[in-house]
Amino acid sequence: MSQTGNILVIGAGIAGMKASLMLAGASNKVYLVEKLPIIGGKVIKNEESFPNLECSTCMVAPIQQDVLQNPNIETLTYSVVEKIEGSSGDFSVVIRKRARYISLTDCIGCGMCYEPCPVSLKNEWEENLIDKKAIYVPCSGSLPNVPVIDSEHCLRLGGGEDCSLCAEACAFEAINLEDTDEILEVNVKAVILATGSATYDLSSIPDLGYGTLPGVYSPMEFERLFASNGPTLGEITLRGSDKVPESAAVIHCVGRRELKYCSAVCCMYSFKFARFLNHKIPSVRVFNIHSDICVPGKSYQSFYRNIEGADTGMLYTSSIADVSVSENGSELKVSYPDAAGSLQDLNVDMVILAAAVIPDPEVTVIAEVAGVDLDQQGFIRTVADGSGSMETSRKGVFVAGTAEGPKDIQSSVVQAESAAGQVMDIVTSQAAGS
Amino acid sequence: MKEFEMQKSEQDKKLRAKVGVYICECGPNIAGKVDLDRILADISQLDDYQDVELVVRKYGFLCSAPGKDFLEEEIKTNGFTHLVIGACSPRDHDSTFMGVCKKTDLNPYLYRIVNIREHCSWVIDEMEKATEKAESYIRGGIARVLRQSELFEKPLDINPDVLVIGGGIAGIEAALSLSGDDRRVFLVEKTDKLGGSALGLSGIFPRQGEVVGKKIESVMQNGNIRLFLNTRVDNVIGFLGNFEIELVSGENAEITDIMTGAIVVATGSDLFDPRESDNCSYSESDEVYTSLSIEKMFKAENGVKLRSGKMPSSVALIHCIGREEKNYCSGICCSCMMKLACSLRSQSSDIQVTEFYRDICLPKKEDQERFTEAEAAGVSLIRIKDISVKGTEVSFQRINGEKCEESFDMVILAPALEPSADTEYFANLLTVPLDEFGFFQEVHRMTNPVGTSTDGVFVVGTAHGPKGVSDSMQFARASAGQILTRLIPGEKLIPEVAVTEILEAYCTGCGNCLEVCVYGAIYSDDGRGISVVNEAVCRGCGNCFGSCPSGALRTKHFTNTQLYREVDEALR
Repeated sequence: MSQTGNILVIGAGIAGMKASLMLAGASNKVYLVEKLPIIGGKVIKNEESFPNLECSTCMVAPIQQDVLQNPNIETLTYSVVEKIEGSSGDFSVVIRKRARYISLTDCIGCGMCYEPCPVSLKNEWEENLIDKKAIYVPCSGSLPNVPVIDSEHCLRLGGGEDCSLCAEACAFEAINLEDTDEILEVNVKAVILATGSATYDLSSIPDLGYGTLPGVYSPMEFERLFASNGPTLGEITLRGSDKVPESAAVIHCVGRRELKYCSAVCCMYSFKFARFLNHKIPSVRVFNIHSDICVPGKSYQSFYRNIEGADTGMLYTSSIADVSVSENGSELKVSYPDAAGSLQDLNVDMVILAAAVIPDPEVTVIAEVAGVDLDQQGFIRTVADGSGSMETSRKGVFVAGTAEGPKDIQSSVVQAESAAGQVMDIVTSQAAGS
Repeated sequence: MKEFEMQKSEQDKKLRAKVGVYICECGPNIAGKVDLDRILADISQLDDYQDVELVVRKYGFLCSAPGKDFLEEEIKTNGFTHLVIGACSPRDHDSTFMGVCKKTDLNPYLYRIVNIREHCSWVIDEMEKATEKAESYIRGGIARVLRQSELFEKPLDINPDVLVIGGGIAGIEAALSLSGDDRRVFLVEKTDKLGGSALGLSGIFPRQGEVVGKKIESVMQNGNIRLFLNTRVDNVIGFLGNFEIELVSGENAEITDIMTGAIVVATGSDLFDPRESDNCSYSESDEVYTSLSIEKMFKAENGVKLRSGKMPSSVALIHCIGREEKNYCSGICCSCMMKLACSLRSQSSDIQVTEFYRDICLPKKEDQERFTEAEAAGVSLIRIKDISVKGTEVSFQRINGEKCEESFDMVILAPALEPSADTEYFANLLTVPLDEFGFFQEVHRMTNPVGTSTDGVFVVGTAHGPKGVSDSMQFARASAGQILTRLIPGEKLIPEVAVTEILEAYCTGCGNCLEVCVYGAIYSDDGRGISVVNEAVCRGCGNCFGSCPSGALRTKHFTNTQLYREVDEALR
């Protein structure tokens, strides 16, 4: 029996891509399944990554290209895994390739089809800060650079109307409005779940004004606002206006008390936001309203020390739970208890809430399909045999990245590499055993 | 200069070649902005080269499956000696077209891609100018490709075995993850026992103690792990797939030579000495302890006691010792101290426990409970701005500015982790740079945290930076992942082909190139007084090329002649 095998990796973020590349490099055939029409995961939403403020695209795009060009990786975008049956070394997997309506081989990503589409929708990938058409790519620089049709909202596919404006605009006959879902059945020896995470639902804390006060932002919204390929092409302006904020407050630890864990990355991205604001708006005044500063590891504290006092005023609050945001004329009033517990007010134009990292909203579905247990916090649980193993409660199924819990890019990559090693064990031991 | 040009063009005329020039339309991406028919006509009529036949064609999408088939067929039927592709960025499709060449008799290093999309059609609005630039690029490409030479991959046999340096928890985990029937692991530990710092943890972390104990047992029973205690690593040469190593063991300095394909460095860390901090002064006789020494006491005595033998009635636990001096947060001390506080309270509720902290850092989702447990156990938690310790006298400033002093029976300090004393020795031995904190430097903080600039040498555990037991094991497993997917028993490795060579006649042995080589690929041959490149290690980065005062270095595929001819022609 050969020392290679088929492997299923679910999720094409940094962890899923790294694991796929390693396993493909060892001559395994990898099925990399991604629910979105593009690969890259959360990292590509960030223009720059902490602590070195390295260009995220420059870091990830070569990895994305390697994945797409690797002959041993079959990247299945806009696809979901529906069934994983069998046992370690011999799983049978059912994958649904959702109808994309655009051929991945014929389309060159010229974008001529967007303009004529009469439908306008909120672009969720861009945190609803901009509109998209019913035929769209989530952002410029998408990989693969091939659009998809939102069949629910397309006039023809969803509304039964006689519209084929996009297909008429396509010079390459790449659009097939008759496309249907495809079912792919494959056998794999092992599975890696790298399905990522989400951020805390900020509207569940009404006192912080998210969703009601337009000047209050989620961290992902702010990342996209700063991004040069984002909705404002990197101009930081307040929602619904051209006004450049003159002052901003970043509120730390949002959701930590409710969730009973620290997400370990929010302090760092909050400091990064302060640097971003200063970089784009030199006259801006920024404040970080914080409790505990969590900057673990060798390279985080120096970033914090560089930002503290220079890019942002640091305002300690004795209780994040008692911080509130309200409207005050054209500004926002942030009230917070200071070190002595007395309430202080701060007037700013913009508020960014440093939301905790939470399990992906679809994690229960993923766990059910994969037949794995979740932990107390709702992330995918590892065997926890004290060995650092990435194996889940089901043998032969591994987890990596933020699907396992909140973590930074480095730890996600480390887990992906660990999981890849464990998959190799299965592949080679099976070869030796037969 | 004129003479030089004449000489060059005379040489060009003598070249005998059949060059295929294929231009990709990239749909409207290139064809819409560049007048390809004009380029086709102009290039076909180039009469700069005698004996060079040019076949110039365009195609819709060369990167598509039919495009690649078309190209393959064209190379085969025309019998090209060289190939130039006018298309997109080499980042997109250089490997695609090299792949096509590999299916034919054309050596892939006799092909050249020029970027007429990102550099021309996408950035120049006027068709006239875009066409002119694209044409000059293609002319440059032809001039260059005629100067390129065939290069060949040289597959190397590999040794799948691994040397693991350091028998702490990270080294043990790496050894256990890597060993197998077709892969031996040499586990080298400088002391006389396995377990490292994690052994000391069993006092207040009995479960972790158990885990370490079991793992040590597994190592002892594993026939594929060869254990060397009381052993140091004395000499290392080689590269990924082939290292030669000399081990020196025991009092009699017994030498063992081994060969492996990879090296995992798990040399651990030390504790910061609190007395190096301006804020801590105490003597040996004071009741002041570090977290590690108290854990040992806990293990031996099942609790803490004063030197008098009595149980302390008040204990101060002080976090963040050395954090400011080191300029990093070790990320594990808060969790340890809170666990210790709870252990003290369960030893006896008569022990008043006070924790002084600046920030609570509990970055693991499962650790947050420690804080609530400590609060529930009646530990008094005081957030401070500043603190100083003189013996068991503690002066501190609360977060609200209030200054206080308090005396305790016992003080326990949580010092930061710092690089172990032999880190520098191993950095030199393995040609791995250290970071600004003195830990081993990874290749890339995010995308390759366990790799080092010496390919084949991996750094795991606290040798890489402060981290806890579970992260140390995870890093160890990550190195195993890299080794298991890259060093496959029975398979070969293909090193970089476009490497640097040294023209011996010109080399003066000045050693400049050794200084700038980040891969440790150049060594000095003292006998001959010259520098020598190890082609298996060289990545062809070209650093050395610029440093050579006598022009003795040449990076294959990027020679002066190739570059000058391309630039000359493009600018003509």
